[in-house]
Parts: sequence; C-alpha cells; structure tokens
Amino acid sequence: MSIGIDSDAAGGVHPGPDPGEERATWSPYVQRAGEPFDALYSQLQPQIERLVAEYEQKRSALIPLAQLFQDHEGYISADAIALIAYVVGETAASVESTISFYTLLYRRPVGKYMLQFCRNLPCMLNGADEIMAYARRRLGIGHLETSDDGLFSYEEVECLAACDRAPCAQVNLEFVYDLTPERVDALFASLRDGSSPIAPLPQTRKPGRSWKVEQDTGHKSPGAMGVSSPNNAGGIGDTSGRAIFDLIVGRPQYEQRSDERLLRETTLRVEPSENGH
Amino acid sequence: MPDHIVPVLTAGIGERNLRDIAVYRADGGYEQLRRAFLELTPKEVADICSGSNLRGRGGAGFPTGRKWSFLPNNGRPRYMVCNCDEAEPGTFKDHMLLEETPHQIIEGILLGAYAIGCDHAFIYIRGEFKRGYEIMRDALEQARAAGFVGDNVFGSGKNLAFTIHRGAGAYICGEETGLLNSLEGRRGEPRLKPPFPAVKGLYGEPTVVNNVETLAYLPYIMRNGAEWFAKCGPERSPGYKVVSISGHVVKPGNYEVAMGTTMRQLIWDCAGGLRPGRSFRGVQPGGGSSACLFEEHLDVPYDFDSVTKAGSMLGSGAMVVFDDTTDFVKAAYTLIRFFSHESCGQCTPCREGAHWIQRTLERLLAGGGLDSDVDVIKSAAHQLTGLNLCALGDSIEPFLASVITRYEDQFRAYVPRAAVAS
Repeated sequence: MSIGIDSDAAGGVHPGPDPGEERATWSPYVQRAGEPFDALYSQLQPQIERLVAEYEQKRSALIPLAQLFQDHEGYISADAIALIAYVVGETAASVESTISFYTLLYRRPVGKYMLQFCRNLPCMLNGADEIMAYARRRLGIGHLETSDDGLFSYEEVECLAACDRAPCAQVNLEFVYDLTPERVDALFASLRDGSSPIAPLPQTRKPGRSWKVEQDTGHKSPGAMGVSSPNNAGGIGDTSGRAIFDLIVGRPQYEQRSDERLLRETTLRVEPSENGH
Repeated sequence: MPDHIVPVLTAGIGERNLRDIAVYRADGGYEQLRRAFLELTPKEVADICSGSNLRGRGGAGFPTGRKWSFLPNNGRPRYMVCNCDEAEPGTFKDHMLLEETPHQIIEGILLGAYAIGCDHAFIYIRGEFKRGYEIMRDALEQARAAGFVGDNVFGSGKNLAFTIHRGAGAYICGEETGLLNSLEGRRGEPRLKPPFPAVKGLYGEPTVVNNVETLAYLPYIMRNGAEWFAKCGPERSPGYKVVSISGHVVKPGNYEVAMGTTMRQLIWDCAGGLRPGRSFRGVQPGGGSSACLFEEHLDVPYDFDSVTKAGSMLGSGAMVVFDDTTDFVKAAYTLIRFFSHESCGQCTPCREGAHWIQRTLERLLAGGGLDSDVDVIKSAAHQLTGLNLCALGDSIEPFLASVITRYEDQFRAYVPRAAVAS
C-alpha cells in the first residue's frame, strides 16, 4: 500500500488505519489508496510524518497539517481535507468542522496577496477607518473579497498586536506598519510590480469572489453556518433571516407586550378546535 | 529614559541581537536552567517561584506558584503549555518578546516544565505571528543543538520535548481551555471548568498554562532570588510588568516598569503624554476587556489589586489612551464588533448578546437609533454577564457600561431628534 502512517512512529494513541484493512471499517469518509490525495501525500510525506510525530495524539497535528497543505496549494482543498482525515484518523466532517473555526485557514482559493487590515480599537483611534476605506477604493474590492485578476484578497481583521505602530496591516502574514495613504499606494505598487520582498501565496486554482464558505451556504438553513441569528441566518450577507424577522415583528399581534401575547395565544391553543380535537 | 522604566525582560532589546544564543548566554542566559537541572530539585524551583509572589501576566493575575501546586500527584504525564496567543486589543508585549528575546522565553518554559515535573512542553503561538514563529523555531534549533532541549538535558538523564504549535486565527484560543482544545486539533471552544487544566488539561492530563511574560520572568527570579522580585512594588502583586501603551499618546510602545507605578507616570513620563493641545478623556488599563478609567483614576498605582479596586482590571497590561477627539460610541462599537466576531458561539448569551448589541450600536451610528437604544444596550450587556463558560462574554460589559455611564451624552447625541420621546 502506497500510503499510511506507521502508528507506532507517530506515537499514536488512536489506533489509526491498519494498512491491510478495508478503510470503510474505520472511517466511511476517507478515500482509498490510489485516489486523488495520493499525489499530495507523496509530495509532502516527510513533513506530514514529522508533524504527526510531534504530538502524543495524532489529532493535534490537524491544524499544522492544514497549514502545511495551505502553504503548498494556497488553500485547503477537498483532497487536503481527506488526507488530513486519513492521517489523523478522524472523519472528513470532523476535520472540516475544525478548519471552519479558524479564520486563517482558507477553504477556497484566495488571491496571491492576502491583505489583512487591522480594524480594532488602537488602530481605529489612529485612523484605520480612513486607511481601510482608502485601500478598498484603490483595490476596487470590499471586505472578504478577491480582485478579479486574482492578485489581492482583502480582509478587515481584529487586533494584530502591533498597536504601537498603528494603523497596521499584514500582507501574507508579514507586518506593514504606520500606514498612510502614500504607504498604502507604495505597498500596492510594489506588490503589483513584484519589487516587494513579500512572497506571493501559491495559487493552484483561480479564486472566486470570496473565500468564505459561508458565502456558499447563504441559501442553506440557518444552522449551516453553525451560528444562527435572525438577522444573519445563512452567513455574512444573507438577509433572508432579516426578512423573516421583519415579517414576524411587523405583524400587528406582535406589537402587544409579550406576556399579553402569550396569554392570548395560550388561550387560543387550549380552545377545542371545530372537530373536537 | 524615564526613571520608572526598569528593563528586565526588555533589557538589551534594540542594542544586542538576543535571538542569537551566544549573545543570550553571554548575558548569563541558560545558566539558571543548568543550575535547576543539576543542582536543584523541581520542588526547590517551584518554591522560588512561589516565594517571588509572581502573578500571571496573561490577564487573570493568578499566582503562578499556586497554579503549579494544584497539579495532582497521580503519576500521570504532565504538560507545560506557554500561551503566546496574544490577541487582546491593545496588547503587544508578547509579540515583541517573541520576536526579540526568544531564548528567555524558552528558558522560562523549560524552568517551568522542570518545576512541575513534565517532559513535554508546548508553546502555542498565534497564527498571525509568522515571523515570531520563525524566530522561535530558529531559537529552539539553537537550544536543541546546545543540548538544552531534547534527550538527556545537561547530562541529567532527564528528557524534555518541546513543541512549537501555531494557531490559525482565533482570539478565543487565548483562553486556556480553548487553547488546549485547539492544541488537541479541535475547534478552540473553551471547556467547562472545573475540572481546571491543572487536573484535566491537555489530553485529559494535568496541565499548566502560563503566559509568555510570566514564564520569561522565571530565569531572572532564579538569578536574582525570589526576594528581589517580591520586594519590588506592592506586596500582593509585586515585581515588574511590561506595559503596552497605545492609542492617543505621543510615543506608543512597550514600557517595563515596577508594579505600582501610577498610570499618570506611565502615560506622561513613559509614553510621552497626549498629542499637543489635546486633553485626556479616559484609559483602558487592561486591554479591550477592561472598563475605562478616567481623570480621577490617573494616580491609581498600576498593579493588579489597585486597578481592580478602581473598578477595572489590569488584565494583560495594555493601556489604550483616549483623548478628546475620541468618539466613544465608535470606540464601543469597535470593541463590541470584536467580541461578536470572536465569540466562539457556544454560549447563547455571548453569541447572541454581542451580535445584537453590535447591531443596535450599528443602527445608532447609522442615524437610525431609537431613544431607548442606549438603555437597551446597557441592560443587554449587563444581563449577558456571568452566564458564559469563559470570560469572553463577561468582557462585553465593562468598557461599554463605563463609557455609557460617563459619556452618555455622546451616545444620546446619535439618537435622531425625531426619535427622542418628548
């Protein structure tokens, strides 16, 4: 068999896959040897095994593995998810769930330069709002969007721990400090013409408008995002929940106080219906 | 350099390349580690730490020696985890220490690991600190090559594994149980406490989670003696502290001072005061989660107990200073948006409360606010406090409540006149 981690070498507490075993007996989600993630595995095998060996339990390597594959492919592909699931001995769904928690793990392709501008308090006090508006205007894209040429992705993020040199930003996780409109211009120009020392991210697939999975799930049920709230049912930008909410609170009976309403509705409910039930 | 500044952890930064193990060792680095491994028992090291009264520098201010003493003697493996997931708004001390002085962090972690008798230490570095991670990785390689980490440390026969773990972008992973879940490869959702990590932590085994700055002080406490640390500043929260000062000051930066230096001295003598012609409106003494303090509090000594007594908290030691150009409604909105974004979503009061307070503030800022909005925000923030698994939900109220109480007119001014009840 071409793939498999020696569970002893990994110090595994999980029993993990037995190379001679039918895989379906330990995880129904993982693909069989010879299927797509083989290529990824064979390219990165030494690093994968080193990462897994770092920890007492294999699952701890989940995020480092995701970072490894993201550094390799530019985003975390379905193959990468399947491979992580195979290596750490978890289901693909569980891997997907964990990865969706972390904002620096991208499940969709992103631009070659990931621009992350800090929007938190110390930067805001030093004019971050104006800097971000300027950057958005120069790029022609908004928060969580990728430019059409696939060069830039833009995101407004929380405190980057460089408040002494606010406003600040990160480009592919490299810090840029003390931003002014001129410096933003110079930064974009140097990234465009390749004179910047900041290396581009690998790009194995053309990015779409956004890299957030929630954008795809906008039409799904409120639970699809994991977090539901009436105004944000399917994720960022989804307004269907808002419409429902407005519909409900817009009804005349909801203008009554809730305890009165409860009283009335309970009375309605206990009244026998026409057919006696 | 102002008199208040006492460089201990920050000594040599900007002058010497402390990332080089030779430079660090020339300053006496790793000597205390050798002494601990070859001359002292783990209990003696732990006693020195307890004797220094060192309190955790990550936010909660819990006495480090006492935290270690909670570990049960059950013969199970133990873990030492260093928390370098610094993301509290306004805090940037660990970022600097990580990038400038990685070796004292490694030595501190190893001393702590020796004191609690563990053989696998971790450092959890925030995902955004890519450069810091690379510096720490190189420093660890140097320490490994010198025989300070790995098998048979200093020929003592003891093995000490050391793993650098990178996070991937989640503020909540700075909460110790969230961090442990993340380190186990799960969603970084905080766990129910008790059991505390000291009893059931990483992989269900006894675990100590300490902040970078806390552990970095250990080599110096070992070198100069517990008395040196305990005698400095107030008795109940002694020692030194790296204070991150940002916001509307002339010279924002990290300043290391003795505990008990007043906030006035920190803002004016260390950070150069406000910009010319501006007047003081408030300061957050402990990062985004702390309540705002005002002019009357400026002479409060900067230590855990005094700041708590003044109605706020020292937190991670991050001062955000506001002058008279500050729009406190926007400031509150910015912080609430942060908590709403970073809420892990486990506890309904935090997830929904932060979200709805954010929406209400958004409406207020957009000019569509109602007369009742200010009271709604205040009561919502108050009601969600104390109902959450971790401190994130409880961090929503302090700043909001303190600035609404003080600057209610600024909030009211956003309510359109038509909506104000006559």
